[in-house]
Amino acid sequence: MKTIFIAIMLVATFTSATVVRAKGDDFNSVVKMIEQFYRVKHTGIPFLAKAGMKVATTAARIKGGEAKRLAEAGSIKLAVFEDQDFAGDFMKFRTSLNDALNATWMPLIQTLSAKNEEQVYVFLKTAGEKYDVLVVTIEQREATVVQVTLSQKNLAILLRDPEGTGKAITEEATITDPE
Amino acid sequence: MNSLFQTNIKTPLLAVLLVFATALVARAQGSRIQMTSLDHLAAKASQSVDVTIDERLMKVAAKALSDHDADEREVKQLVAGIKGIYVKSFEFDADGQYSAADVEAIRAQLRGPGWSRLVSVVSKKEGNLEVYMLMEGEQIGGLAVISTNDKEFTVVNIVGPVDLEKLAKLEGQLGVPELGIETTKPKTKN
Repeated sequence: MKTIFIAIMLVATFTSATVVRAKGDDFNSVVKMIEQFYRVKHTGIPFLAKAGMKVATTAARIKGGEAKRLAEAGSIKLAVFEDQDFAGDFMKFRTSLNDALNATWMPLIQTLSAKNEEQVYVFLKTAGEKYDVLVVTIEQREATVVQVTLSQKNLAILLRDPEGTGKAITEEATITDPE
Repeated sequence: MNSLFQTNIKTPLLAVLLVFATALVARAQGSRIQMTSLDHLAAKASQSVDVTIDERLMKVAAKALSDHDADEREVKQLVAGIKGIYVKSFEFDADGQYSAADVEAIRAQLRGPGWSRLVSVVSKKEGNLEVYMLMEGEQIGGLAVISTNDKEFTVVNIVGPVDLEKLAKLEGQLGVPELGIETTKPKTKN
């Protein structure tokens, strides 16, 4: 148990340099909105973030090619909400979220699954020659807010398969790969 | 009597104004159809998907898709000129979760000027498929698809010059769901 804890702390230490914590932007606003709407708190340090590590992502599976990353190095912003209750009017939340982001972000895809009580929102905006993507995922007991910067090439992957790639971006930011 | 007279005058006047206003709104919207009336279904659906690729995003898509990659080049050619792709799709666990009025709210918009139903289109999938095309002069201004079965209700609206062949190729890409579109012989019906 102690070894696992040390390993997690090491991962957190090595990845904290590349995982940027949001300050005064839409990412932060969305995190606060979730906190206020559902009366939850996000975990301060993204323990599971593995940005900067060598990973095999869903993007590779989509393309059927070799492993590759979606997010530009150092661009990941991540907030994780773990083991908390996300019961609430998801229609109302969706409206609030869209109203808050509508001026600066373009909504790409929004999926709601009543059965699994899962909500996924993918928003996009230009960032110079690249593109910022904001993925909000809310499930019964956990939620994540991920913002990444994508190259033009990886944006093309997102646009061709918005649902699959949106999930892949969250996976990339939150799942520790054994490699 | 006076009141009755006023009512008789007012009613046609209101009707004319309403028709005029509707025509103005329809003209302003072009081939974009309003789907917000379906939003309430998300609360009943086991799964709902809402795709919005507006003109800004279509421009981004056109820029992002590569000319060097053969697959991306094909998609880029498909989306050239398209000004928007809008999808609302609902899956339900039980029958009868959406009403005829929900479908009618979409169909009513497709009875407007320029819209024709393509009766030659069928789907490989079970259920009912209705495809409508908007002609603006000699050009296609957009398409709308209503796909229904007992437990599913999907509306796809593509704004811009897109024909059936393009629509079929777009299935499974850019948020356009698999509709199983097949064409028989080309016929249209108003």
